[in-house]
Amino acid sequence: MSNNSQSFLDPLAVHQQMLCGQLHHFLASLPPILYGDVVRALEEPGKLFSQPPSEVDHSYPVTPAGIWSLLTLAIIEYIAPDINPLCASNVAIATECCICAIDLLDDIIDDDQTSIVQDLGTSRVVNISTALLMLAQRAILSLSSMGMSSVLVIQLLDVLQDEISVCTSGQHQDILAESKPIQEFTDEMCLEMARQKAGSLMRLACALGTLCAMADDHVCRLFAELGELLGIANQLDNDCHDLYYLLQDGKAPLSSTEMKSVPKPIKTDLIRGKKTLPIVLAAKSDADFEMSLLSDRESNQTNALHKGILGTWGICLLYRERAHDCLQEIEEARQHPISPSLRFLLGFT
Amino acid sequence: MEEKQLLEFVQRVSEDETLRKELTNDPDSVIMRESFSPRVARVVMRLVPHMSAMQWKEPAGSLNWWFT
Repeated sequence: MSNNSQSFLDPLAVHQQMLCGQLHHFLASLPPILYGDVVRALEEPGKLFSQPPSEVDHSYPVTPAGIWSLLTLAIIEYIAPDINPLCASNVAIATECCICAIDLLDDIIDDDQTSIVQDLGTSRVVNISTALLMLAQRAILSLSSMGMSSVLVIQLLDVLQDEISVCTSGQHQDILAESKPIQEFTDEMCLEMARQKAGSLMRLACALGTLCAMADDHVCRLFAELGELLGIANQLDNDCHDLYYLLQDGKAPLSSTEMKSVPKPIKTDLIRGKKTLPIVLAAKSDADFEMSLLSDRESNQTNALHKGILGTWGICLLYRERAHDCLQEIEEARQHPISPSLRFLLGFT
Repeated sequence: MEEKQLLEFVQRVSEDETLRKELTNDPDSVIMRESFSPRVARVVMRLVPHMSAMQWKEPAGSLNWWFT
C-alpha cells in the first residue's frame, strides 16, 4: 500500500468502525437463518465487512472497505459537520445495503461466477439481495425515531426508489441488448445504458448524503451530477478492462506495471454479447465486425477493438474531467474545499 | 458535442499516419488547430502517448500501448 493511500485510509478507519457498528445493529434484526448469508455478502471485496487482501500491492491504492457508505458519510460530514453521527451513519448504511444488493443481482443477471455465487448458489444470493434492500429501507425509516422529520425520511426513500428504478431500467436494457445485433447500437445508446446502470448508483450515494445533510438545491444537484459522471466513467473503465483481458488472455504475461492497473476479471459480459461502448465503437470502425469472433484473438478484428478501447478510454477521461469541473463548482458554491478523504473516495487523488 | 468530437478525432488519428506523426511531434499545434474545448484538449493530451504507441496497422498487436 502506498504511503499516499495509507494517509487517506487512516482517518477513514474511524468511520468504518462506526459504520460497522451500526450495520451490525441492523443485521441483528434479521432472522438467524438469514444473518450469516447477509454478513457473507457484506464481506465481499469493497463491502463494509471485507478484509484487506492478504497480499497487498504496496504501490497501488487500495479500495477501502465500505467505499460506498464511506462516500455518503463523507459528503454528509462535508455539508453538515455537526449532524447527529447516528443519523448520518444510518443513511450511509442504506447506501451500503442497497448497492450490495444491486451488485449481487448484477452478478446473477450476468452469470458471473463470483466467490459468493459459487459458495452459496444463485437462489440464496437472490434472497440475500432482497434482505439487503429491505435493510436499506429500514435504515432510512429508523431516522424517524431519531428526530428527523418525516418529510425528509420520505424524501430519502423517494431518492432510493428513484435511483433503483433507473438502475433496474438500465439493467433491463442491457439484458435485452444481448440478443440484438451490434449494428443496431450507437455510442449514445451505450452511454445512456452506462448512465442508467452505473451512474444511478453513484448518484444515489451522493444524493442520499446531500439530502440527509439538508444541502441547498444547487449543491444537491451538483453532487448528484458529480456522482452520475463518476459512475459512468467507472463503468467505461470497467468495460475497457474487460475487453483488455479478453484480448490479452493467452498472450505473454503483463508487466508488473500493467498488472497493478487492472483488477482480475471474472466477468462474462463479452461472452454474453453485452453491447459495451468499446465493442460498439469497434463495430462502427469495422464493417465486417462480428461479435462471435470476439474470442478469436487472431482475428483481424483486434485492430478495431484497440480503437474501441482507446475511444472509450478517451470518453472515460472526458467524464472524469467533467466530474472534476463539477467538484470545483461545488467547492465554489460551498466556499470550502472538500476533505482529503472525500477527494480520495471520489477518486481524485 | 464533446464526445463526438473526441471519437471522430481518435478515428481520424487511426486512419491518418501524417496526423499521427504530427500529433506525436507537436501535439499543441494539432490541438489548437482542431479548436478543442479546454476539457477535450486535456483529454487528447493524455491520449497522445497511447495513440503514438499503438500499432494501428498490426492486426493482432499487443495492448501494451494502453499502459504507455
